[in-house]
Amino acid sequence: MASQRTVPAAGDILPTAVKLVTQEQLQRYAEASGDHNPLHLDPDFAAKTEFGGTIAHGMLVLAFASEMLTAAFGRAWLESGRLKIRFRAPARPGNRIVASGRVLKVEGPYVTCEIECRNGEDEVLLSGEAGVNLS
Amino acid sequence: MPPAYLPSLPKGHEFPSTTLALTPEWVARYTAAVEDEAIGKLGSDLIPPMALATQAIRALIEASPLPEGTLHAGQELAFKRAVRTGEALTLKARVASRGERAGWVLMSVDFEALTGEECVMTARGTISFPAGSD
Repeated sequence: MASQRTVPAAGDILPTAVKLVTQEQLQRYAEASGDHNPLHLDPDFAAKTEFGGTIAHGMLVLAFASEMLTAAFGRAWLESGRLKIRFRAPARPGNRIVASGRVLKVEGPYVTCEIECRNGEDEVLLSGEAGVNLS
Repeated sequence: MPPAYLPSLPKGHEFPSTTLALTPEWVARYTAAVEDEAIGKLGSDLIPPMALATQAIRALIEASPLPEGTLHAGQELAFKRAVRTGEALTLKARVASRGERAGWVLMSVDFEALTGEECVMTARGTISFPAGSD
């Protein structure tokens, strides 16, 4: 998959975005988002939950996927992007996250992709579909 | 208006309209937090689309605090046009659904961000939290 100037085809692979999640980043994201849920920020609180430690905000992980789509489709993603995803598993500090996508179908100017984010253990953290209008 | 605790809100509840503050300072802080390296290549004042969604959720949290341990289960988004730093946007939101299963509440909230009458983003966020949080 190349830039927004290239007409994509079904099966094309989007360029990946790779990020390392850190606890410091969760703090910065909490300050920007206003989401100070202790599950993200308080190791003592989070250790007593089913997760056993802090986890990343879902919208932070989704931002990695959005960056991948911005790189793939440029302004078309900002002007016509749509997505529907489910959060499958938590991202944790220390995780190396890979956001990836593949073109599922192209119907005229409409491009539909499957997208996902995985951690270093190849666990799917979020998955779903995204689409853009390239007209 | 005092904040309404989210778990106590029924399906159909409409949140008070609010203004989204896409100031240059906040957009810079957000972009740094998510380490977005792609948006800067498109134009100096375009904001990452997920920043708009984040602001919408921020406004919701400020209007209606979430229970500790709330999880984000799913997200739908549709962007209608690119948004620039400093634009004045109005957010409308309502509880779209509320159900309970296996001791957890699953709640969906619909969002709409507008400039005047023009819609620039629609979204549906689904969260879950332990039943009895209200």
